[in-house]
Amino acid sequence: MKIVVIGAGMVGNRFADELGRLAPQVDVDVLGDESYEPYNRVMLTELVAGRIDLAGLTLPTPDSGRVRVRAGARALEIDRERRTVVTADGDFAYDQLVIATGARARLLPVPGLRDGLPRGAHVVRRLDDAREITAATLNATNAVVVGAGPLGVEAACALRHRGVDVTLIASADLLSRDLDPEVAAVAADGASDLGIRVVQDAMVSSVGVKDGRVDAVHLADGRRFPAQLVVLACGSAPDTALAAAAGLETNMGIVVGDDLRSTSDPAICAIGDCAETPSGVSGLVAPGWAQARALAASIARGADLELPPIAGSAMRLKAVGLSVVTMGVRASTAGPHDRVLALSDRRERRHVELVTRGDTLVGVTCVGAPDLAAHLSTQFDRPGMLPADPMHLLMGASAPGVTESASPTAMPAATTVCRCNGVTKGDLVHAWDGGATTVEALAGATLATTGCGGCTKLVCGIVDWLHATDPPTEADVSQASAGDREPNVPTR
Amino acid sequence: MTDTHCPYCALQCAQRLHGEPLAAEPRAFPTNGGGMCQKGWTSAEVLRVADRLTTPLRKVVGDGHGDGGAGDSGDTVFEEITWEVALDEIAARVLAITAQDGPDAIAVFGGGGLTNEKAYQLGKFARLALRTRNIDYNGRFCMSSAAAAANRSLGVDRGLPFPLTDLNDADVIVLFGSNLADTMPPAVQHLGGVRERGGLVVVDPRRSATARLTDEGAGEHVQLVPGTDLVLLLGLLHIVLAEGLADTDYLSSRVDGVEDVRRSVAEWWPERVAATTGVPETQLRRIARTIANAAPHRGGRGAYLLTGRGSEQHADGTDTVTAVINLALALGLVGAERGGYGAITGQGNGQGGREHGQKADQLPGYRMIADPAAREHVAAVWGVDPAVIPGPGVPAVELLMSLGQPDGPRALFVHGSNIVVSSPDAQVVRRRVEELDLVVVCDVVPSETAMLADYILPVTQWAEEEGTMTGLEGRVLRRRKAIEPPAGVRSELEIFAALASRLDAPSAWSTDPREVYDELRRASAGGRADYAGISYERLDAGEALYWPCPDEQHPGTPRLFADTFPTASGRARMVPVRAVGPDDALRAEAPVWLVTGRVLQHYQSGAQTRRVAKLNDSLPRAYVEIHPSLAARIGIEGIEDIRITSRRGSMTAQARISADIRPDTVFVPFHFADEGMVNAVTNAATDPISGMPEFKVCAVQIARAETWEATA
Repeated sequence: MKIVVIGAGMVGNRFADELGRLAPQVDVDVLGDESYEPYNRVMLTELVAGRIDLAGLTLPTPDSGRVRVRAGARALEIDRERRTVVTADGDFAYDQLVIATGARARLLPVPGLRDGLPRGAHVVRRLDDAREITAATLNATNAVVVGAGPLGVEAACALRHRGVDVTLIASADLLSRDLDPEVAAVAADGASDLGIRVVQDAMVSSVGVKDGRVDAVHLADGRRFPAQLVVLACGSAPDTALAAAAGLETNMGIVVGDDLRSTSDPAICAIGDCAETPSGVSGLVAPGWAQARALAASIARGADLELPPIAGSAMRLKAVGLSVVTMGVRASTAGPHDRVLALSDRRERRHVELVTRGDTLVGVTCVGAPDLAAHLSTQFDRPGMLPADPMHLLMGASAPGVTESASPTAMPAATTVCRCNGVTKGDLVHAWDGGATTVEALAGATLATTGCGGCTKLVCGIVDWLHATDPPTEADVSQASAGDREPNVPTR
Repeated sequence: MTDTHCPYCALQCAQRLHGEPLAAEPRAFPTNGGGMCQKGWTSAEVLRVADRLTTPLRKVVGDGHGDGGAGDSGDTVFEEITWEVALDEIAARVLAITAQDGPDAIAVFGGGGLTNEKAYQLGKFARLALRTRNIDYNGRFCMSSAAAAANRSLGVDRGLPFPLTDLNDADVIVLFGSNLADTMPPAVQHLGGVRERGGLVVVDPRRSATARLTDEGAGEHVQLVPGTDLVLLLGLLHIVLAEGLADTDYLSSRVDGVEDVRRSVAEWWPERVAATTGVPETQLRRIARTIANAAPHRGGRGAYLLTGRGSEQHADGTDTVTAVINLALALGLVGAERGGYGAITGQGNGQGGREHGQKADQLPGYRMIADPAAREHVAAVWGVDPAVIPGPGVPAVELLMSLGQPDGPRALFVHGSNIVVSSPDAQVVRRRVEELDLVVVCDVVPSETAMLADYILPVTQWAEEEGTMTGLEGRVLRRRKAIEPPAGVRSELEIFAALASRLDAPSAWSTDPREVYDELRRASAGGRADYAGISYERLDAGEALYWPCPDEQHPGTPRLFADTFPTASGRARMVPVRAVGPDDALRAEAPVWLVTGRVLQHYQSGAQTRRVAKLNDSLPRAYVEIHPSLAARIGIEGIEDIRITSRRGSMTAQARISADIRPDTVFVPFHFADEGMVNAVTNAATDPISGMPEFKVCAVQIARAETWEATA
């Protein structure tokens, strides 16, 4: 079977990789319009931040000769009659076409940006965008990031990490799709602490351009922010151009059924950001990967497509210095019978919020709490696993345990002193009473310290303490055993 | 007074045996530093257990007692028979089965506790006397993933390719799924230097005794979600490569495959790894940098990355170990003066036992049985035509699951293993064993497996025999005889010789351990595990000899990989691996992870240690370690029994409520039989490369035992 994939992004590449692995009999061409090998788009802002280099973004390429990734092969047209994709380098016939064209960055329809992007203005969508932004930071001392969704916040933090003076323009609150206003305020404080100028509830009226280069961003209220670099992070829209030109049904995205097949042509599927399933357009990589896996398995096995349920959407910010993780619902989107638990610590730029439904954790919001966020990620959407008191979840993986006392006085008699030989403090006291009044004698009598030797200090401490509280006498030493004293009773 | 080594784990603590009754005390030796744990101190008790086997036993068929129900071992009756009768009957039944169904109808299952001599002779016995390809052993359950990964990447598998005492000098030691404070307590001494420098990192879903060694600034505990070890490793390597911390000179001069591996970790950025493993991104970055800064190219004193069964006993165990090796290679640690990768071998002779022919696909000296040159060499030592040696068999789980099945073996010999307790999905294994026509078990006590045998042959143990063991560092050690075995007991070497003669086997069958060992030396000569230069004389003279040691003038090889790797190219190979997650995944009916492991007082299936009063009194029953929050959910408040159920089976044990375990995970030690046998629950899914079963993680349902009884 001949399969053609349009788009060598994270989802298209993953699909080809899975299919190559599962179906030895298929023949796959992946057409990528960028000249790079498939790379990890999710990490572009990390590239800007300098926390990863270009080589570190490159994704595994499906290796076998049956899966060919053609970098720089831009699809020009889908000819559904001939079941062929036309490119400048020739035609690619298919039995099954998979469209994974992803999304395009949205531009602001304001003066200064209407005739294409002037020099110094960039979106963050492709590898070239990230490379150009990175190069620009060498000369630019100030930058304005327009848009305060995850991408905008990540870009602002990355530029700030590079030492650039950054203004972040938000049309409403920071991360307003993911955070309720009071939580967004905590995140905004966190961003401000990094030295980012956060401007909220702002509308960009125009971008100033001088000699073909950006020089400022103007707001509707008259404020002006000088900018040698403008980064536009104003959202994205499914890239449906090829599909629409081929007469496939498109709405927000390419309309597909639950089986990911186009409603207009069963020989064509769409996955990832460009696809609009009955549950909508996703815009995140995890659901796109799930679609890629499911479609590959279905084609490889000739079986019905089984899309695993995706439990709420998760957002994990990759921003230097700012940790925000959200999953599922939050206070404002919780149902009337849900429980909402929150701890807010604004001064420390920290806010943690849980939503529980029955015996399940259905919502998590963590700002400035990466440790807890990691633990809660593993507990999210696990029916039956909610602690009887969900408040315990706010205390992390292990609620504070009992601190064992290492003081010989306070230690209970049943405490194990020598693990290797199972010797308790009570056993040592008993042996002391039996006349073993040195560390060596106690070792002989109880075997304590004769394993790894790790308890030697503790046994010395117990000897010192016994010397102080119950000094050995002639009688003690001569007595074979202190039969009148019960062992393991903390008389001391 | 006899100097020997402990009968239990691979640390092989040096012991002195003396007195009447015989008692053990530790002696100075590098691995145990003069220490010994409770098991070692009480080891002489096993010589005197009340139910020691001293005469061959034959199962009585149709005894007329009890209800005769299958598997009702309580009603099984054995009668004492003479050695002659036992050996004659066993040989006759082997010949009858072989005549009918061919030699592969006989299967052999060995153990990692057997001496090198016995392990070697068992492999030879299977191939030449029984003429079967169907031999494997319980080391498949321990070391196979680490072995497969090390062979694939480094060209050879020697658990620790450096002396244990080297650890003390490093800046960092990372233990991936090892609880050595419980499994080999005296080894904790070697962590002392690193703990002082704050460099001990322990990766374990539990705050185990070993994880506690990181307290008070000695290092860090990484309490990951069970079954996510591989993701954690991909994330650590991602950070090392992304942040430019790798040793690029080392990679270019000594390692192949870097680019593919770099791509394979591009998908595992820290935030994604954190969400899967539960390990915070901040901790991931910190640990990656800590390890990297300990590497020699960044001016550190060295770092050791060590794996235990926790990271190896998975259906992706080989790939998980590969990911550890990839990380070690990226940092230039393997072969460095201080640093490297190592697997902490478990069983007493887990190292030697995997080198000399008990494995389905191997001949002595780590030679591959499918390699014509290897067959020729070994055949020459044995004095047979290479064509006589059968081809490769199948790994342990596949072998056990095929017992008594159509086209599967009809007979089984068991040596040094208690498979109906220690195998995954053990109830199925029990049923398979019960379906066999002939089961012969050699053991010192009536273990749960021995009770299923048609013939039980009583054999010598530890202080009653001579031989060699190879410790966790690849150093060959002498086991020495301190007392005469009880009358009626024979060594396995005698049994092999007696049966070989009855089966008209070719080759010579010495019953003298030294002669067998000298034959092993010749058979291993030129192999990867080359013992040719390691003689009893040199060992008895006190030389510290690590294999490979190709001739008697050779000083042995304490440290491998300093200049080259024993691969075709002389370079190490980084291999890209993918994380797929546990075979038995969480679901609504099984929402809790089960992990299994060991306790200090017991060893393996407990056949020995459950018979030592002092050990058994300390811990007579299995327990379920459970987090207070999970315990509260199922209504457990104190000392109550919990029933654990998986797709495969159930077990019951007492709750031990502890905040040391993750709230989504329960832990059960695996040393117990009957209702406390956790291997009734574990998953027999295996690693496609090593055949290692996924002991370490499966999805279970848990309930109060009383509640369960009320609703069942």
